[in-house]
Amino acid sequence: MMVDVAANAATAGAQYAGPMLQLEGIHKRFGELHVLRGIDMKVDRGDVICVIGPSGSGKSTLLRCINVLEPADGGRILLEGQEISGGGAHEGDIDFVRRRVGIVFQQFNLFPHKNALENVSLAQQKVLERKPGEARAKAEALLNRVGLADKIDEYPERLSGGQQQRVAIARALAMDPHVMLFDEVTSALDPELIKEVLDVMRELADEGMTMVVVTHEMAFAREVCDHVVFMDEGVIVEEGPPAQILDNPREERTKRFLGLVLEH
Amino acid sequence: MTILGDSGISIFFHQYFDFQIISDNFTFVLKGFGETVELSILAGALSLIWGLVLALLRQLPGRGLLPVRFLAISYIDVFRGIPLLLVIFLISGSIPFLTFLPQSVRIPEWLGKPDPFWYGVFAITLTYGAYMAEVYRAGIEAVPGGQMEAARSLGMNHAQAMRYVIVPQAVRKVIPPLLNDFIALMKDTSLVSSIALIEVVNAGQTVQAETFNSSALTLGAVMFLVVTIPLARLVDRLIAGQQARFQRGAPRMESAL
Repeated sequence: MMVDVAANAATAGAQYAGPMLQLEGIHKRFGELHVLRGIDMKVDRGDVICVIGPSGSGKSTLLRCINVLEPADGGRILLEGQEISGGGAHEGDIDFVRRRVGIVFQQFNLFPHKNALENVSLAQQKVLERKPGEARAKAEALLNRVGLADKIDEYPERLSGGQQQRVAIARALAMDPHVMLFDEVTSALDPELIKEVLDVMRELADEGMTMVVVTHEMAFAREVCDHVVFMDEGVIVEEGPPAQILDNPREERTKRFLGLVLEH
Repeated sequence: MTILGDSGISIFFHQYFDFQIISDNFTFVLKGFGETVELSILAGALSLIWGLVLALLRQLPGRGLLPVRFLAISYIDVFRGIPLLLVIFLISGSIPFLTFLPQSVRIPEWLGKPDPFWYGVFAITLTYGAYMAEVYRAGIEAVPGGQMEAARSLGMNHAQAMRYVIVPQAVRKVIPPLLNDFIALMKDTSLVSSIALIEVVNAGQTVQAETFNSSALTLGAVMFLVVTIPLARLVDRLIAGQQARFQRGAPRMESAL
């Protein structure tokens, strides 16, 4: 059974024609540390945006602001035209965001006391109030889609990192998100397990899923992304099509970073 | 020849291990131990529930619920900081005189148990609930932060995330320390003898007062050990099992920012 996740998402959000996601002057501080210093970004439906940059540049914080795991301190975030940021981000707004934005974490964060199937069906039942049979069918289809049909009864500790991460992707997709955020999802993986995860993401992009991908995989950024954003010290230094940013960067900082990353 | 001499050893032996006194009073002491076990199980179960409630109140999020957190923390601080014996006296010596309460609460004799039994259940639950709340808290805090984030990012609210994701993991982690607390609780039920509940220590002491011989108390001690030593071994095994799991690498690395 095939499920076209991106098509589901597209119909679900079809009523809104403007940009999926708009960020205007986003600031975030952790105490003295000024992590984001005015980030502007526009993500249209079906866009795949890659965010690259050195560690500590604020990439992960940016994703966490978009789904309100960390509320932004300043600026505006609009999701499908609705403002979701600002001082008064209350439970209702957060609910609006979490039902539209899926996130996959570097550390997988699977629920260790639940098997793969339960990991993918739990929130479907408790949040979307799907019937157990319906949630199970969807979970099975998604696990099949990420190539784990034979692992549905396994607990996370018995899965490899790559398998765990694919379960985590299925878990996020099960909620029919309109936008998927990927936070360095291959950084904790052994090299030989990276490809299986990137392949799933590539398929998702091909199907038209709107994605914001924080990554160190330059080959992936080059092949899959529509738009590359280079961040450093909390600002966007340079952005544009992958060929331009990765092959002909204008900014000195971008050149230096790419030099370090692409050397090996 | 020993320093005490044969008669010394014999006096010592009879003071603690007089088999005649032990067999004469076995049923009486065993009945007292039955009371101890019932008190332990009932108060233990209630403490487990009350402790979890306190721990969850303490973990409530947001600024608006600060007073609730403050009250929960104050409660835990107070009842961890005063002796159980004092709480027992506070309850048994005052509740009967709170005349606004109905008679059946002031002098409870539910399930055919005498009122000191229920005062004991109440006092132990109040005190051990506070201890167990701290154990649960340690368990909740030991669940990696990414678990709450993953649950919230899937749209669960705080209560759902606690119920389906955090607490099930936390409870598994704290079963051994909770069992340790239960062993301590069971021993502390002997304090309820001070308000005339005829549990095992009170029974042994009654025999001691009548016979000037401690063998019935020795018998009571053995009865305790029959329960507490296997429980302590069980705790050891559970901890060893958890450590084996940990070394196999079940909880994955937590390094990333």
